[in-house]
Amino acid sequence: MASVVEPARAAAGAPASRSFLGSLLRTPSGAVGLVVVAVLVLAALLAAWIAPYDPLRMAAGPRLAPPSWAHWFGTDDFGRDVFSRIVYGARLTLQIGVIAVGISLTSGLLLGLVAGYASGWTERVLMRLVDVLFSFTEIVIALACLAILGIGLTNAMIAIGIASIPFYARITHSVVLVERNKPYFEAAVAGGAGHLRLIFRHLLPNVVPTLIVVGTLGVSTAVLAAAGLSFLGLGAQPPQPEWGFMLSSSRDLISRAPWMMIFPGVAIAITVLGFNLLGDGVREVLDPRQRQR
Amino acid sequence: MLRYIAQRLAAAAVTIWVATVAVTLLIHAVPGDPVRIMYAKFQSTPEQLEAVRTSLGLDQPIHVQYAMYLGRLFEGDLGRTIVGDQPVLDVLLARFPATLTLAVASLAIAILVGMPLGFLAAYKRGSWIDIGAMLVAIVGVSMPHFWLGLLLLFFFALQLGWLPVAGSGIANLVLPALTLGLANAAVLARLTRSAMIDIFDQDFVRTAQAKGLPKTVVLYRHALRAGLVPIVSMLGLQFAYLMGGAIVVENVFAWNGVGRLAIEAVFARDYPLIQGFILFFASIVVIVSVIIDVLYAFLDPRIRYG
Amino acid sequence: MRRSTTRGPALGLLATALLATTGQLVTTANAAELVWARYGDLDSLDPHRATSTLSMQVWDQIYDTLLAFDADGQPQPHLAKSWEISEDGLTYTLALEDGVVCHDGSPFDANDVKFTIDRAFDEAQPSLTRTAWGPIESVEVVDPLTVKVSMSSKFGAFLPFLADSFSSIVCDTNTADTFGSSTAIGAGPFKLVEWVKGDAVTLERNPDYKNFGKPVENMGPPHLDRLVIKTVPEPQTRLAALQTGEVHIAEPPFDDIAAIKEAGELDIVVAANTGQNVFWEFAISRPPFDDIRARQAVAYATDPEMAIDIIYGGLSQREWCPIARGVFGNDQEFCKQFGYAYNPEKAVELLAELGYGPDNPLETTMFVWTGGNRHKLAEIFQAQLAQVGINAAIEIMDIGTMNARVKEQNELVDDPSPGTFDMMTWSWYDPDILYALWHSPGAYSGFTTPELDAMLELTRTTIEPEARLAAVHDVIKYLMENAVHVGLYTPGWEWVFAVRPEVSGFKVGAFLHPMFNDVEIKG
Repeated sequence: MASVVEPARAAAGAPASRSFLGSLLRTPSGAVGLVVVAVLVLAALLAAWIAPYDPLRMAAGPRLAPPSWAHWFGTDDFGRDVFSRIVYGARLTLQIGVIAVGISLTSGLLLGLVAGYASGWTERVLMRLVDVLFSFTEIVIALACLAILGIGLTNAMIAIGIASIPFYARITHSVVLVERNKPYFEAAVAGGAGHLRLIFRHLLPNVVPTLIVVGTLGVSTAVLAAAGLSFLGLGAQPPQPEWGFMLSSSRDLISRAPWMMIFPGVAIAITVLGFNLLGDGVREVLDPRQRQR
Repeated sequence: MLRYIAQRLAAAAVTIWVATVAVTLLIHAVPGDPVRIMYAKFQSTPEQLEAVRTSLGLDQPIHVQYAMYLGRLFEGDLGRTIVGDQPVLDVLLARFPATLTLAVASLAIAILVGMPLGFLAAYKRGSWIDIGAMLVAIVGVSMPHFWLGLLLLFFFALQLGWLPVAGSGIANLVLPALTLGLANAAVLARLTRSAMIDIFDQDFVRTAQAKGLPKTVVLYRHALRAGLVPIVSMLGLQFAYLMGGAIVVENVFAWNGVGRLAIEAVFARDYPLIQGFILFFASIVVIVSVIIDVLYAFLDPRIRYG
Repeated sequence: MRRSTTRGPALGLLATALLATTGQLVTTANAAELVWARYGDLDSLDPHRATSTLSMQVWDQIYDTLLAFDADGQPQPHLAKSWEISEDGLTYTLALEDGVVCHDGSPFDANDVKFTIDRAFDEAQPSLTRTAWGPIESVEVVDPLTVKVSMSSKFGAFLPFLADSFSSIVCDTNTADTFGSSTAIGAGPFKLVEWVKGDAVTLERNPDYKNFGKPVENMGPPHLDRLVIKTVPEPQTRLAALQTGEVHIAEPPFDDIAAIKEAGELDIVVAANTGQNVFWEFAISRPPFDDIRARQAVAYATDPEMAIDIIYGGLSQREWCPIARGVFGNDQEFCKQFGYAYNPEKAVELLAELGYGPDNPLETTMFVWTGGNRHKLAEIFQAQLAQVGINAAIEIMDIGTMNARVKEQNELVDDPSPGTFDMMTWSWYDPDILYALWHSPGAYSGFTTPELDAMLELTRTTIEPEARLAAVHDVIKYLMENAVHVGLYTPGWEWVFAVRPEVSGFKVGAFLHPMFNDVEIKG
């Protein structure tokens, strides 16, 4: 888990003007990523219409039936329709991505802003703590959280969210460091602007573009991590049609029903790829320096 | 340089110290009475539970508990596991070589596959080789470790019957190391490519080329050495991710390292073992990152610390 | 490789790891070494500190018992060659076989028996077997080969208990505090070499072993040089390892058993008389299952016949009684009268009485233990329960943890979380298990009432078979009518073994005791 965070580090703030979407669609990775994510969102929203069967219904077809017209992705060992389960799984996956990133992004943003703005001792202590947590690695923090909270998908989302707070805090902090030395900010300080105004009117808008990039890439990390925890049995529980959990229950049947192993894996990989590409695309748009690469 | 090393060591010590505080607090964050949870399987009387509480120091104020914990820690005593009643440190040390073997083998695969790929992509920037390599890399980055593992298991062990699937010998190492190595090769390829592109754009490479030095000399003597610097700086983080990934991959292949142990401990609510694992794992990652930082300092003569 | 005790820095460990891996190549299995892979590891080598079958099966190899079960599950003389019971039924005098030695070379005698029993009752020890031994008051060493056990009241299940793994005799030289975790001295057919938790227990042949009463042909030491008992949780991995020959004996994946039989490459051994029983039990300390109707609703809403048919094919049977087939007192027809045949309408009715309905489902959690495809069984039950309006989350855990969680749940009285229920399991040779589980305070602090206590006491103090049968049946009726212990199926775990063709002599005795005394590996 958590092996795709590296590209975001180089991202720096840049003004987001022009037609953002138009520029995004002009980058190849942005276009592909956007399409994948849009498909995912549609699948999640329209699951009830798209899925031919109830994802939890046992004996919707024969047990362990290979892919066919009636069951596009085959059936699992309970006779549940794998395609329907994957479509409904998109809901859980998006939920995981949004909630986990939501937790880490807001907490990390606040921490980074406060540390960067406060400077001095507060900054040193806070960032030292963030560094320490960062070096624990995300999986260990997530495991520790699960040991306290107990097993389950909701707890897994929270654990993943908490585990990546240090990462977002670091990025926010690094952007704030650059911004607070710029003339406009120094002018605002000299002009006697209040703390809140300085933080929210001046610093925040400059942090946002970077965090959009990092957050988009972060969804892919969170999805991978949650699937991993569910695969280990620490996240989603039966009968949830969560992709990582589906993969883990395919293990016993890998030689008899490989479709149970192939499709959920493809779903995870495409989703993660989609958010990675989208993140790359957003970065290219927001950070022209990167575009030449 | 010495001063830099001292600074890094101090920072590492702080991290490990915070870890000791965190694991002490962990047991208090558990809802309910941890002693009852841990010892519920034994028909213990309230007096026996009280005795356990005393022996773990849980009846003391928290700062005293922490002092006791530190005291035992310095004697190499991380407590005893709930399941099986064994010394935590011995259990961890018995399983750690397997994890380290896996991590080192995977890192080797990641370096051997990822760095040349990234280098080639940067060198042939914009060509179909570059695009192809980066496509492979981003797919690799997006692939869950455990799925790659299952696919490899399916094809090589079950379909082709080439490799064994469970055990601890060299042949058993191939699949898990390949799984973890390939996944990280993708990350490393992306890193190498962007680092090398930075280097190729820099003046000294251009100057060397302009001076008419042979291309290979420019590549090996100048660009590659300079490019290694930022890559090495990322290896520490890479290693940490590898160790994290090992936790999952070990469970796919029944590779008997600390990762599997940790998951079992979470399931069994074996808190002393979970505490020990966190402290142990964090310490390893921190120590490795210090070593790599120091290497980095030696490698890059342009950087002066002080 | 597993015994690294290096406490040096990372680089030192790295060297150890690399050395250890290459070292593996040297230790090839030229001696007769059998690898047996199981889905989980034992909890402890100390027979007083664990209850899982996974643990007992290892103790069977390291320790020996005073009596031994024959193929039908009847206790026979073993290390105790004869015994006398006093007139009042309170004193047992056992005569031990001469010339038996413990693994460390010390003679096996009456002191070892006394050491074991005293240890089981030692207040300073967290012991799980205290109740199972019975109301023992004292143990007296009459002479080295004679031991006298005195009870405070009559105890009908004492002799069969002496044939069970829980009564494994621990040699009195086990005084090190590593006992149970890294040392274990017994008088069984194999000696402990090492136990790497979560990985493997390695045993070696005990050249001094003597068999007196175990139902095997070999009366001397085992033919195997080494026995390695490995933990391999994934069924597919076990199957693949069986096929490549890395493993000789293992539980195969259930979905592949038909194909294995057809291919004929592996032998399938199915254990009989396992004494195993899988059943529903409930946390009765708080809502919803403090109300009998909620417990009955679960029982009516689930259809074990259909579920085990889907998951196990013909390899498992419906079990109506709280004790398994082959155990004294089991009678399908008798139990069925008080059982809960699948009846979802009845379940909906009961739930409606309790105020649950389509808009207000009963929320609860079902505990299940790992392995043997039970998580799939649980998923079927979950779907069946959902149809009547019971939302049961599933939590899967190892059996030791599950025992702990059940006890914890039973003791949570004033807790806002809904009470749980669980697919529990026991393997026992006698209906006395019901006493251990349901006589107050109860091994897991579950359901108890004074009238049930009285009925259970009667099953212990009644020795005459017909009268004891009646007493046992009274208890069964009570437990079932109150929906406290609702039988589901039997057997329940690790009763199917796939064995490689070159292995001969592998037997599984009554109550699921695998025996390796006769095992040989050809070629």
